[in-house]
Amino acid sequence: MIRRLRNTDLAAVALTLLLAWLVVYPILVVGADAADGTALRAFVTRPGEWAALWASVWISLVSVILAAAIGIPLAFLFEWFDFPGRKTLGALIALPVVLPPLVGVIAFLFLYGESGFIARAIQAALHLQNAPWRLQGAVAILLVHAYSMYVYFYLFTRAGLAKLDVSMLEAAQALGADRRATLRRVIVPLLRPSLVGAAMLTFMTALGSFSAPYIFGGGFRVMTTQIVATKLNGDLPLAMVETVALAVIAVLGLVILRRTEGDDILVALGKGIAPRPRPIRRASVRWLAAALGWGFAVLLLLPHLTLLLVSLVPYGAWTTEILPPVINLENYRRLFSEAERLRPMVNSLWMAAVSTAIAVALALAAGWLIVRRRVAWRRVIEGLLALPWALPGTVFAIALAITFSVHAPLQLRFVLVGTAVILPLAYLVRALPLTGRGILASYRQLDPSLEEAAASLGAGRWRTLARVTLPQLRPGLAAGASLAFVAALGDIVASIVLYTYETRPVSIEILSSLRLSETGVAAAFGVVLMLVSAIVLGVGARR
Amino acid sequence: MSTFLQIQAIEKGWGHGVTVGPVTLDIARGEILALLGPSGSGKTTMLRLLAGFETADGGRIAVAGEDVTTVPPARRRFGMVFQHYALFPHLDVGENVGFGLQGRGKGDEGRATQQISEALALVDLAGFERRKVHELSGGQQQRVALARALAPEPRVLLLDEPLSNLDPALRERTRHELREVIKRVGITTVFVTHEQEEAFDLGDRIAVLNDGHLEQVGAPDDLYEHPSNLFVATFVGRANVFRGPSARALGGNGTGILVVRPERLRFAEAGLPGVVRERRYTGVAAFFLVEGDDQQRFEVLAEPDAARVGQRVYVEATRVIAL
Repeated sequence: MIRRLRNTDLAAVALTLLLAWLVVYPILVVGADAADGTALRAFVTRPGEWAALWASVWISLVSVILAAAIGIPLAFLFEWFDFPGRKTLGALIALPVVLPPLVGVIAFLFLYGESGFIARAIQAALHLQNAPWRLQGAVAILLVHAYSMYVYFYLFTRAGLAKLDVSMLEAAQALGADRRATLRRVIVPLLRPSLVGAAMLTFMTALGSFSAPYIFGGGFRVMTTQIVATKLNGDLPLAMVETVALAVIAVLGLVILRRTEGDDILVALGKGIAPRPRPIRRASVRWLAAALGWGFAVLLLLPHLTLLLVSLVPYGAWTTEILPPVINLENYRRLFSEAERLRPMVNSLWMAAVSTAIAVALALAAGWLIVRRRVAWRRVIEGLLALPWALPGTVFAIALAITFSVHAPLQLRFVLVGTAVILPLAYLVRALPLTGRGILASYRQLDPSLEEAAASLGAGRWRTLARVTLPQLRPGLAAGASLAFVAALGDIVASIVLYTYETRPVSIEILSSLRLSETGVAAAFGVVLMLVSAIVLGVGARR
Repeated sequence: MSTFLQIQAIEKGWGHGVTVGPVTLDIARGEILALLGPSGSGKTTMLRLLAGFETADGGRIAVAGEDVTTVPPARRRFGMVFQHYALFPHLDVGENVGFGLQGRGKGDEGRATQQISEALALVDLAGFERRKVHELSGGQQQRVALARALAPEPRVLLLDEPLSNLDPALRERTRHELREVIKRVGITTVFVTHEQEEAFDLGDRIAVLNDGHLEQVGAPDDLYEHPSNLFVATFVGRANVFRGPSARALGGNGTGILVVRPERLRFAEAGLPGVVRERRYTGVAAFFLVEGDDQQRFEVLAEPDAARVGQRVYVEATRVIAL
């Protein structure tokens, strides 16, 4: 018994140190290096820095408001009312969340951009000299954010509504509350944790958002694009100060939102039965709801359909026409036959696979130590796993770039930047919260007597793991792993800071194709990325 | 007995040919009525029709002469205790109990506070106002749910399987407390249960439902001693059913079915012959499972040492129910 305990403790110490080295140490290094007088002064005195910081904050806040304004009503519509196509549409409109942000952004560009499909059509119809608009600046960024981030509110609110106990609503009615009073006094308070959760997720995603400001920002800078620009200019000390500033904003935002969440435990006491969706009685209203739902779904899918169309147009074939004159598979052929173009695809796939596998292994070890062994500092391990979620990806990218560009083995710093290791490492850090949350949640639901039963039937530790534990953890594991894989596959935030030509991932190739005006190839990459992501997530979500 | 709550030919169809009702029942002021039946018998539907959560396809519900058939639950002034209590997790005990007191006229704050503490005192939870509901034990939660339902002074109290969520050990005590509180308030009460013991202990009268139909209504003794059909006879209490020759051997007239409670059978020198197959000892007495010569099995409740397993016995009945 005593020997077992020692092993557990050793494993816990090893895992804690490893995680700390991965997710805390680089941040500390940046924090320490950022305490540089000249860079600090430069940051404080330059108006551009404050403007970018403020832009990050207000863009994130407005994104939350816009996403809530779209997502919450949709959730009520789909959860509470029944109309033709409810199920299909309900799944369809959750789609934007599963696609890599960069793909969504370029799809948006091809549809709504100044040389996009719609601008082109209007220009031709009205015989205009120039494009009718330029999709640029804060408005464009907010549009893209609202388009992709309403899904958080939609999904969280639906989940909250589905968990609502119907007897809770009936109890309110029996006590004399009418519909509006029930909404105000029971439903909204019970939904609050879901809404705060969605707001937090939206705020963090918007704060860390890079693709949209990078492609649509133009002269409008937010902190993430500002940091990358400073880094590219070679002003590392200033980049570090900016990174710390962004990290501080993120942590502040989390703390404030956490406070509004409060510490109430809002779990219903009994097992609840969710209210059944109400069929809409009046035919006209029912068809209006269906039409709204379908119209919305088409609106949401339009960018991706445009992406598909653009990917079928060969280089230089589409100039001023409203519809492309030629359509063929030339871009896809080039994608798969030219070694230099295939390479980013292969790079992204193996780097995403390796980082996901390691993240799953670490999360499994953490789950076993936290839930089964209940080691003393289990909260520390859990916090380390979740930490990368609390900070924007750019912060970690810069932190890793700084920490692992120095050879100092005694400080546990090695030169990894420029090698094939650094990007998978960066992806791994970003993957930890995803695999960690999925596996920990499943582990907590796993009845320990199942493992004990396996042991009493003579199964050893590994057989129990393979035959009982892993199959039981599968839903959470698959969900976490597929999300992590897709995030790594489409990553641009870390990649743009850390890539080398040899290890360049798909996102970087998409950007350089766009720069060379090879929109067809960029779109083809986007479509492939979209398909692979959809398949992986589909497999991951299967029960 | 003056009727306070009147249920007239109420019915509700669920599609697939499943129908509840028509049920007609008169309930007196201050009476506690149990709706007893197996799962799927329609007892919960009846309760929800009374509460207004379901709308009846036909029939009428009236309280003190006022037709409430189509009155929405929020304005029906029926208090309800839910099976899993449905206490609002975001409110504390006092706020839960006070929920129904808001919005009913502009009563001052002080009066509501007063009513809350009175309701809590009634269920023996005085001073629990600021507790969180998830900190309470199951029995305390049940009492908070009762206080919450009673606080707005409803006309009728409805209880959905009020004790099913409690430990068996706690159930009997809570049953008596519940009855005491209801009787002290004097409120007309309808509750649903699938347990005969609970119905007997808590109800003044019991309405037995089966397959959506009302089988019989009556006081516990009535149902037990004079069941109107085989379903009631076998569902309410333990019952041995005899037909044909064995029924005749026990004194039946030979045409119908004879129902005999185990405690109304005893071992004798002559009568219905059989062999003791099993003995289940309960302490004060024992159940003897006897197999008759026609292979039919029945139960006899007798002194623990009245017979041995394998022994050949004769059984006679002290009281029979002929159906």
